Amino acid sequence: MAALRSTTTRLLGSARPAFRLPAAAPVRGFAQLADAAQESATATAEPAKLKTFQIYRWNPDTPTEKPRMQSYTLDLNKTGPMVLDALIRIKNELDPTLTFRRSCREGICGSCAMNINGTNTLACLCRIPAEDSAELKIYPLPHTYVVKDLVPDLTQFYKQYKSIKPYLQRDTPSPDGKEYRQTKEDRKKLDGLYECILCACCSTSCPSYWWNSEEYLGPAILLQSYRWLIDSRDERTAQRQDALNNSMSLYRCHTILNCTRTCPKGLNPGLAIAQIKKQMAF
Amino acid sequence: MASIARSALLRQATAAPITRQSVIASSLRAAAFHTTSRRSLLPPLPQRVEGSVNDPAPVPDPSPSHGSYHWTFDRLVAASLIPLSVAPFAAGSLNPTLDAVLCATLLIHSHTGFQNIIIDYIPKKRTPRARRIFTWGLNAATVVVGLALYEFETTDVGLTEAIKRVWTA
Repeated sequence: MAALRSTTTRLLGSARPAFRLPAAAPVRGFAQLADAAQESATATAEPAKLKTFQIYRWNPDTPTEKPRMQSYTLDLNKTGPMVLDALIRIKNELDPTLTFRRSCREGICGSCAMNINGTNTLACLCRIPAEDSAELKIYPLPHTYVVKDLVPDLTQFYKQYKSIKPYLQRDTPSPDGKEYRQTKEDRKKLDGLYECILCACCSTSCPSYWWNSEEYLGPAILLQSYRWLIDSRDERTAQRQDALNNSMSLYRCHTILNCTRTCPKGLNPGLAIAQIKKQMAF
Repeated sequence: MASIARSALLRQATAAPITRQSVIASSLRAAAFHTTSRRSLLPPLPQRVEGSVNDPAPVPDPSPSHGSYHWTFDRLVAASLIPLSVAPFAAGSLNPTLDAVLCATLLIHSHTGFQNIIIDYIPKKRTPRARRIFTWGLNAATVVVGLALYEFETTDVGLTEAIKRVWTA
């Protein structure tokens, strides 16, 4: 909730409208849009608001070279409000070799998950802190194998997601041959679970997952597991519980709650894991 | 973690003739960058994908004695420690039976606690031998402490009474 709240206040607290669409702007990217906006507002002649971004760089083509931090300085007046806008601008205008994943730019795809100023979050939902002049540090998700620059390898994460069978398993057909219906109360149980976009922010912030990612499933996957465990339409609850009933898969969670603190969607994986433990206890 | 990296860097830097100012500057910069220790205590291995990337991760066989039963037992032991450790304050000292129960519960509680630490930090997959050594070391330690507590309870004054005497000594 904390993450969600701070994001909303940051969103609502913007005094300056970020993008003003001029009449005939060639729509390419946010950096260009912001530039056009800046051009239309040159009459005010704002002083340049420079901000330095330190970004983790590692190139797989030169694997013996150590990873390094590279600095880029941007004028925030010409840049969109979010970190992703700055990254896109850096890639477009300063350094085309900078590599990162992005897709929807509105916090629904989970591609741009990265570690910004020490917190795992989505670059598209993270506002550039304009008031302080300190450098903004951007790393890939912690304790992941890095493919290049800010791109982490999520193979194990997806393999684990596949292992919990994240789909409806049911043998009895619905009585009227139409869709499987639920009561409103049963549907309400899925709120706060189905919104997860699998960005891996929570799993990669969990120390338990850092040490035991081969066997421990991690908060994101356990949240999804719980989503299917309490679905009133699913008929494999016992098998799903059996799959978690060993020392590693579920019980490596020690309620550290980094997952809940970091979730950019404001969900609570810690609570979901506690519910699974409670469900399986008696 | 950072302090270890920093001291190593300082040692390297002092070997070379560099001025103090630049030593501190470079070590701070490097220390800020290296977030993990240089000591090769279980360094990350190269990535190895089990099966193909499209196979699900293997699901272990269910074993409730290591899973749900273990967890429930842990919570019950932890919860029962609260009244057992409050009772001596209320009653002055415990009778020998309750004192023995307190000792046994404490022993089990610390055993499962240490067990959790071993499972977390000595991965069976990577260091099976160290895992076996530590597990049996813990078992041996628990047995020794158990025997010692038994001796203390049967031939001496008992745990709560001993604490009381040390407290007021």
